[in-house]
Amino acid sequence: MQGPEFAGLAAAAATFGGVWFGHVAVRRIEFAAARLGPFMLAFLLAGLALEAAVLLSASFALSAFLGILGATFLFDAPELKRQEKRVNAGRARANPRNPRHHLALASGRAVLEDPLGGEPPVPVYAGRSK
Amino acid sequence: MNPAGPLLGLAALAIIGLGFVWVIRAERRLGWAWWPWFMAAGIVVIVISIFMPRPWLSALVGILGASLVWGATEFRGQASRAALGWYPGAGETKRRPPLERLIRKLKAPGL
Repeated sequence: MQGPEFAGLAAAAATFGGVWFGHVAVRRIEFAAARLGPFMLAFLLAGLALEAAVLLSASFALSAFLGILGATFLFDAPELKRQEKRVNAGRARANPRNPRHHLALASGRAVLEDPLGGEPPVPVYAGRSK
Repeated sequence: MNPAGPLLGLAALAIIGLGFVWVIRAERRLGWAWWPWFMAAGIVVIVISIFMPRPWLSALVGILGASLVWGATEFRGQASRAALGWYPGAGETKRRPPLERLIRKLKAPGL
C-alpha cells in the first residue's frame, strides 16, 4: 500500500486560505483606500510572482499550494473594482471618510450599514414542525 | 520546471466559480441551515484526498473539499441576499435538514 498523499491537503489549505484572505482583504482595502490602483497592481504582481516561483518548485505539494494561492491573488486584483461597484450600488458598506465613496453616498445609492450584516431569515419548512 | 501549480490554480478558480452556482441553488432549494452538512462533506472530501493514488488527483479532490467548506460559509450571506431580493427564492419553503434542532443552536459561519 502506498503512503499518504499530502498534495490534497496543501491544495485545500491554499484554496480556502486564499479565498478567505482575498475576501477579507478586498473588502477592507476597498473600504479604506483612497486609490485602488496601487493595491490592484500589488495583487497582480504578487500573483504573477507566485506563479513564476511555482515553476521552479521541485515539490508537487508546494507547487500546488503556491500556484493556487497565486491564482487567488490574480482574481483579487479585479475583484477590488467589483467591490467598488457593489459599494456604489448599495450592496456593500460605504465609508463616509473615503473620498471615493462620497459621490455614491451623496446620490443616496450607497449605504453606511452592511446590508448582509444581520442574521439570515429563519427558513420556512414544508410539513409540520419537529 | 513544474507547471502543475498554475494549472491547479486555474482549476481552483473554476471549481470556486462553480461553487457560486451551487451555493445559490442549494440555498434556494434546501435553505441555509444545511451549512453544517456541506462543511462536514467538505472535510470528509479533504480527508479522502490523502488516499488518492496520484498527486494531481489528490490536489483536485482537496480543492473540491475546500470549495465545499467555503460554500458552507457562504450559505448565511446567500440567504440574506435572497431575502433582500437580489436573488430569487425568498419566502419559498425549504427542506428541513437532519438534526435541525441542533443546527439551530449553532451560529452559521461567514468569511
